Amino acid sequence: MIGLLHRRPWIVTLISIAAVVGAWAGATYGGLISDLLLPTPDELWDGAADLVVNGYKGYSLGAHIGLSLLRVGLGFGLGTILGTLLGLAMGMSEVLDALAAPFIEFLRPLPQLAYLVLLIIWFGIGETPKIVLLFLAALPVSAIAARDGVRNVSGERVRAAQSLGANRAQIFLHVVLPSALGEIFIGARLSIGIVYATLIAAEMIAGASGIGWLILDAGRFLRSDYVIAGVLLIAAMGIALDRGLLLLQRRIVHWAGK
Amino acid sequence: MSGQAEGGTMRPWSRYGLGCLSVLAALALWQAAGSFRLVPAGLLASPAQVVAALIDISRHGYRGTSLGQDIAATLARALAGFLVGSAVGVPLGLWMGTSRLTTAALDWIVQFLRPLPPLSFLVLLMLWLGTGNLAKVALLALTAFPIVTSATYAAVAAVPQQKIQAAQSLGASRAQIFAHVLLPAALPMISTGLRIALAAAFSTVVASELMAGSDGLGWMIFSASQFLRNDIILLGIILLGILGMGLNGLLLRLDHRLIHWRGRE
Repeated sequence: MIGLLHRRPWIVTLISIAAVVGAWAGATYGGLISDLLLPTPDELWDGAADLVVNGYKGYSLGAHIGLSLLRVGLGFGLGTILGTLLGLAMGMSEVLDALAAPFIEFLRPLPQLAYLVLLIIWFGIGETPKIVLLFLAALPVSAIAARDGVRNVSGERVRAAQSLGANRAQIFLHVVLPSALGEIFIGARLSIGIVYATLIAAEMIAGASGIGWLILDAGRFLRSDYVIAGVLLIAAMGIALDRGLLLLQRRIVHWAGK
Repeated sequence: MSGQAEGGTMRPWSRYGLGCLSVLAALALWQAAGSFRLVPAGLLASPAQVVAALIDISRHGYRGTSLGQDIAATLARALAGFLVGSAVGVPLGLWMGTSRLTTAALDWIVQFLRPLPPLSFLVLLMLWLGTGNLAKVALLALTAFPIVTSATYAAVAAVPQQKIQAAQSLGASRAQIFAHVLLPAALPMISTGLRIALAAAFSTVVASELMAGSDGLGWMIFSASQFLRNDIILLGIILLGILGMGLNGLLLRLDHRLIHWRGRE
């Protein structure tokens, strides 16, 4: 028996999943846990179907998802592009690095939500503060990744290109940038996780749409079926964002590890 | 550029000098923006006003809590959640790293939790545990746990088989291999995971205090925003930035001191 399980560990995974689902069904159908706190499996199914068909409070489910993804896309996209450009420049110039590093290193460990209220005072309660917030969350991560990517380019490769007569622009374009791209993408994947977590928090604290707001609002009305369905959706979207970047990375940096 | 790949050509003190210069220039610009009314005073308090707010709050506290209490509340929550999450995550990751069946049984839970934004649990935790400290510490433990567990598991899995086989061929027992081969080889990566987890817990604690709280720096910032007290908001942001850098720096120092073999294997 144990030998079989060692050869086919996925059986253990299935048993473990079945045990968790069984415990959930037993506790909720058996009345151990009120369905205000945890829905039964069929209540969860009905709640999820209801969200898909009827949407939530004036927006279809697709609109909530779309608004959240739009915020992530704009904030992450702008932050990553500008952060990477800044990081590349910091990697190439020590003076610029010394000037910019204090701000980047201050911003990097600062809890993102700390400056949300300031952004709301500055930009109102619309979309702008959220996108600026996500922009600021992405910026330092990608700047540090790009800077370190440039710094870790091997000096031998640079000298080899120099000895073949490459000028600075050629070295940057053909040697430095390709070697740094791997680290830039690692930074981007780290950053999308941070941006996405920040988005959910921002929608919960100051939002009237999007999936983060959806679960917060459903929680206020003790609709645990909507909350759990929303949490599962948030998890699926988070995984999809990460996998999407991974695919992009494999496509663009196909030489990594070779 | 080629010089930088070999560790930089700039002397450390000139680097620090430039850094200080740039911070001072930014502060001067910020103060000038206030003094010459380039930015409406309601939108941006000047550095002098922030310092005045710091002096005022450290003397009189903010709405019933002293500044020390707010800092301590935020740090205590973040550390408590981090410690609980790590106390479960490190042993579990070690166990998963040494047992395929444990991995098969539990890894799906860790992999499900890991990409989930921490605040999405908060609604459920508040339904289940109320809005007090228990829900917050549980949230932060759930934030740290999947990061620590997967880092520990990956660290053990990355230990080269030759090292283990070499120890086995010298007659080491399972316990000896664990204590003298696996653990020392895995510790650098575990330590990195712990640092990432503490940073995540520190970020999340502020968000949770914004959502529901009656003390802590996140609460102070949120409360100040309702009274449009720009000076206090900025003070809170600066304090959180300094604390964040301090926590990270502290763990880095601990790492260098305790794991002195890092990078010399």
